[in-house]
Order: sequence, then C-alpha cells, then structure tokens
Amino acid sequence: MRLLKAIYNNLAAQVREVNRRYAEPRIHMTPLVKICLLGLRFYLFTLVGLMLFKFVTLVK
Amino acid sequence: MNFISKIFYEYRRALKALGLFLSIAGPGIIVMVADNDAGGITTYTTTGAQTGMHLLWFLILLGPVAYFVQEMTVRLGAVTKRGHAEAIFDAFGSFWGWFSLLDLVMTDWLTMITEFIGMTAAMSIFHIPAPVTVAICWTIMGAMIMSGRYWTWEKIALGFCVINMIYVPAAFMVHPSVHDVVYNSFVPHFPPGGLTNNLFFLLMANIGTTIAPWMLFFQQSSVVDKGMQEKDIVFGKIDTAIGALLTVIVAAVLIIVAGTLLNGAQVEDAAAAAIKLMPMNKYIGTFVAIGLFDAGLLGAICISLASSWAFGEVFGWAHSLNHKIHEAPWFYAYYFFDLLLAGTVVLIPGAPLVLITLFVQVIATTLLPTALVFLILLLNDEKTMGKYKNTLFENVANIGITLVIIVLSTMYGVTTLFPNLLK
Repeated sequence: MRLLKAIYNNLAAQVREVNRRYAEPRIHMTPLVKICLLGLRFYLFTLVGLMLFKFVTLVK
Repeated sequence: MNFISKIFYEYRRALKALGLFLSIAGPGIIVMVADNDAGGITTYTTTGAQTGMHLLWFLILLGPVAYFVQEMTVRLGAVTKRGHAEAIFDAFGSFWGWFSLLDLVMTDWLTMITEFIGMTAAMSIFHIPAPVTVAICWTIMGAMIMSGRYWTWEKIALGFCVINMIYVPAAFMVHPSVHDVVYNSFVPHFPPGGLTNNLFFLLMANIGTTIAPWMLFFQQSSVVDKGMQEKDIVFGKIDTAIGALLTVIVAAVLIIVAGTLLNGAQVEDAAAAAIKLMPMNKYIGTFVAIGLFDAGLLGAICISLASSWAFGEVFGWAHSLNHKIHEAPWFYAYYFFDLLLAGTVVLIPGAPLVLITLFVQVIATTLLPTALVFLILLLNDEKTMGKYKNTLFENVANIGITLVIIVLSTMYGVTTLFPNLLK
C-alpha cells in the first residue's frame, strides 16, 4: 500500500511538472490558430460523443 | 578525356548519394510498411472480398495522401529535434498535449490488441496455440531492443518489411485480368450498388488503416532518434515516398488476391481469408497467413515504440533505442508494459476482440483530424520551421486532405446514429 502511494505521488509530481513546463502555448496565436483550436474542440466533443453513444448501445 | 572524367565524377557522386540515402533510409519505409498492419491486412482482404477490385483506385489515391502527411513529420523532426508529443505539448500547451498523448495511448493500446489478434489467428492456421504465439512475439520484440542500438533495431525491422512483400507473388499466382486491374486502378468508380452504408464503412476503414495517428508520432520520434539533420530532409522524403509506394503495392496485391479468389465470399478477417484460400491454392493461403503474422508483428513493434517515445519525451525520461535498458528504464518499462498488457488481453477467454477490432480503425479515423490540424499548424509556424515551413502547394494538398478526412469522419459519426441515412 505504501509502495502504491509512493508511485502515485511520484507520478502526480511528474504530471504537475509537465503541466508547469507546458503551461503556456508557445505557438504564435494568430486568429487562424485560435479558430482552428476552437473548431477542433467543437468537432471532438461532437464526434467523441457520437462514438461513445454507438459503443454503449452496441455493448448493451 | 574531359567527358570521361565528368562521367566518372557523376558516377562517384551518385554512388556517394546512394550510400548516404541507404544510411538515412529507414523510418519512412518502416512506418509505411508497418501501416499495413494486421488490421490493415484484414481491411484489404475484406474490401477485396466484398467489392472485388472496384476500390483499387481508392487505395492508390491513399498512397500520395499518406506521403504528404508523413513527409511533414520528417521536416518537423529534423528541424526541431523533438518528437511529435513534445512538439504538441510545447506549441499548444498541456491541455492539447494531454489530449494527444491520451488519445495516442488509447488508440495504440487498442491497435496493439488487434495486432496480437492477427498474429495469434495467423499462427493458429499452422496449429500453433495462442499462448505460444504471444510468447514468441514477446521474445522477438524484447530481443530487438536488447542491443541498445537504434541501427540494429532498424535493420531487423527492415527485414520484417521485406517479409511483408510476400503478398506480391500471390497476386501473380492468381492470374488476374490485366484489363480489370488497370481499369479499376485508374478509373475512379464505386462497385455495383453505389455508395451504401457498408461501402462507406469500408472506405473509412481503408482511410483509417492508411493514415493513423500513431504513424505521425512514430516517424517523427524515429527521425529524431536516428539523429537526422536538416540536410537529410531530402533523403527522408525519398525514404517516405518509397515507403508509400510499398504500402500501396501491398494493399493493391491483397485486394487483387481477395477480389479474384474470394469475390462475394463472406470474409470476417484476414485469417479467415487465409483459411478459405488454402484449399484453392495452399501457397497463396500460406503467404497470406505468414504475411498476416509479419504485419501484426511489425505493427506491434512500431506502435509500442510510438507510445514509449511519446511518454519519454513528455516526462523527460531517457527515451532512445541507443540507450541500454538500465540507461532508459522507464522508456523500456512502458514498452514492455504495453506489450504484456496487449498480449494478455488476447489470451483472456471471451474478451470482445471483434468489437475492439471494429472500433480501433474507426476511433483512429475519428481522432486523426486533430493530429493533422496540429501538424499543419506546426509546419506553418515560421518561428519554428524557418525555411522548412509548408509551401503553398504543400498547404493546399494537406489542408485538402484534412478537410476531406474531417467531412468523412463527421459523416461516419452521423451515420452511426442514423444507420439508414445512406441506404
């Protein structure tokens, strides 16, 4: 149990370090880049939702 | 005399260039041939059995598409000296970075399972039980990285690429109609019955198997691990073009074989195709079975490495095949963890393997646009790419490809909810 906790703590620290290192996007945020990223968010939420729906209905 | 010396000079120059190319070639050929993995072989045989040779033109069209997409990773890797995962984290921040990494891990793991399904099914034709096949695969894949040299790993992988060409003689042995092959290769058309739901799914599966997110991650990391420089980009492009040609050849010959001998037959997967081909011609059946095992092995080797490289880049672990196991323990630990987990799932009785196979291609296709959009944005960042950023022609080609994939993916998403839409 102690070992698992140590592994978890180590992993969480590494994830925090990655989040800190890459907190700010370095690409030049032109309006086109912003539009692309916004479009991607919308696209992914819609399609992943559809795929999950199909998966759940198939499994049922 | 002057003429002879000029010829000799050109001959020596060409020889030197060839030597240089042979030392640089590898990542492009390996990623493209590995692209025809176990899932891919199943997709091609099913396509051939269901539609004959009518979709040969579509496969040929996917060759340049794969080249244009993969070539970008060569430039990005050679210029930034960073793998794809690290490049995304750095350019777009941690939200998109984690999304891409988790997406890669999920699709890679599911794809790895399909590779093991393919390999065990192929070896079962030769009466080798699944646990033995899985153990053999683990041993081969473990042994490949033991040397601690990228060069050794790459040459062994290229050897598996050569074995993948085993399908080519099979296409000649079925004696297909040359007229049919030429017509179906160069005249775009749909099979009799037109665009149905089933045909649409086949087209999507073929796109999914030709361009996959793991390929972007793999080739870029491979280019970096190999130490390719900006001056090597031309050779990297040739390497990728040769790989694209090989992937189309393998796909086309499989469709020719299945389209000629199994046209109209019910074929669930490549192993079932091999079993059905055995009574018709035992050599062709054997070639398909051996090729399926090789395809699964090559795919598993590359996919597990793509994930390991990605984790190494992001977490800052040592992550090179030039490291010994004790020098990069986490990198190799993840590699083996991926292998063991995927192999074990295949051995679980009653695991939903067919469902996994079905979804892996489709999920990869659905998530591909994200990876492509990131790639195009990165390749247009002048600060990062300098003179190697995308040209107008490359942008037109790549944005066109991405838009088509987005439209097809969206259509697929909608047709899953409304299955009668295209009937």
